[in-house]
Amino acid sequence: MVEHRGTYLWSMRALFALLCLGIIFWRLLPLDMLPRGWAGPDLIAALAFAWVLRRPEFAPPLLIGLMVLLADLLFQRPPGLWAALVVLGAEALRSRSADLRDMGFGPEWLTVATVLMIMTLAERLILAILLVDQAPLVLNLMQMGATIAAYPFVVMASALLARVRKIRPGDDSSMGQRT
Amino acid sequence: MARDRRQSEDFTGPLKRLLLGVVLLCLLGIFLLWRIDSPRVERFRAQVVDTVVPNFDWAMAPVTGTVNILRDFQSYERLYDQNRELRRELQQMTQWKEAALQLEQENARLLDLNNVRLDPRMTFITGGVRADSGSPFRQSVLLNVGARDGIKDGWAAMDGLGLVGRISGVGDNSARVILLTDTSSRIPVTVQPSGQTALVLGDNTAAPPVDFIENAGSVRPGDRVITSGDGGVFPPGLLVGQIALDPSGRMRLRLAADYERLEFLRVLRDLGGETIENPGALIETAPPTPPSDVAEEGAQATEEAPNDG
Repeated sequence: MVEHRGTYLWSMRALFALLCLGIIFWRLLPLDMLPRGWAGPDLIAALAFAWVLRRPEFAPPLLIGLMVLLADLLFQRPPGLWAALVVLGAEALRSRSADLRDMGFGPEWLTVATVLMIMTLAERLILAILLVDQAPLVLNLMQMGATIAAYPFVVMASALLARVRKIRPGDDSSMGQRT
Repeated sequence: MARDRRQSEDFTGPLKRLLLGVVLLCLLGIFLLWRIDSPRVERFRAQVVDTVVPNFDWAMAPVTGTVNILRDFQSYERLYDQNRELRRELQQMTQWKEAALQLEQENARLLDLNNVRLDPRMTFITGGVRADSGSPFRQSVLLNVGARDGIKDGWAAMDGLGLVGRISGVGDNSARVILLTDTSSRIPVTVQPSGQTALVLGDNTAAPPVDFIENAGSVRPGDRVITSGDGGVFPPGLLVGQIALDPSGRMRLRLAADYERLEFLRVLRDLGGETIENPGALIETAPPTPPSDVAEEGAQATEEAPNDG
């Protein structure tokens, strides 16, 4: 039984990594070479937050950090900064996941939106302090808004497709077990 | 209940917290290292790209192809209009072709008369576009040629017609081309026929602005823009685009390269022009001495010359 649960846990972690790689793959496809003037959502961050709030053990900080760092490297972003911010944001949500679990989706969405705003601001601020060239503010804000807007869909998709849901009292809880 | 949970978390807490701290420290360390020693981390980035992206390759080509086919289906609706437009353009092109042929012949005759030697080393390597930057903040593409094929940083990349960007970041099997539309792209250009020099500043739009024109009054929309070769950035004379005015009256560049269809790019080999320094050396090292000495010194001079350059 324990072994079974262990393989389940690791297969879900592998699924998380695979989903992240899939998102990176989709973004790298050479479909649009013209500058678009709009920015899509940062799906990796949304996915990480959704999973951290539902099944924290499926998305450990090391895995999130590695995935976003890989995205940083491949997408020509300053490497490490956004990854560190996403890990920090995920940890902030993780520590609140117990309280948020009992509330509805509204408060959860608000919390995630707040965390994303703080992350975006922090990124711009740190880059400004270190005098790094930055993209236009509008694009950053657009990406933030798109991520917030995409969050419910990410939650829905991961609940329907990967069965990542909040643990309810009747469920076989694997929360307390450290693997 | 909540208290219990927190206590059980405390049980394994320190280890988790330590791991979290290490992860954060590593990530921020990489970021700071990148800020301090950018070239090294960028080399590392090129290596990562070089190992990761080829693994995607088997899937990328079919998916890209499928999406493009689906897009083409949409364009069937406009088939009739497109066809008519193409016919009209073809008619114009035939006229231009005739003119170009005549000019080519005339040019060849004149070059022959003047005994001009063009730079014979302007050769190119063609690479396929493998991936784009994946982010709306950066405009770049990844080519499937790299250091293995002799690509070096700073070389110019063109499509069939116009300049597309410059190489920045070379892995063993891949090279990144920063497009002219990227915010970090600055290209010195000459506007023909007035010969004004200017800079093309990428700003994440499809038509980058042209700035720092000496005498903006002598530049008109429709003027051709070619690279000037200032600062040794690019070989001079590569077509970049045409001047256009945007609604606010600012000069922008309509790029000659077809950015909607970047499939194959030519990377121009640029081995750097030989520069002549020490203007007097040749005359000074030929004192009136017996012929044998002159020959020896001449030999020495030719041996030293490459070291100087």
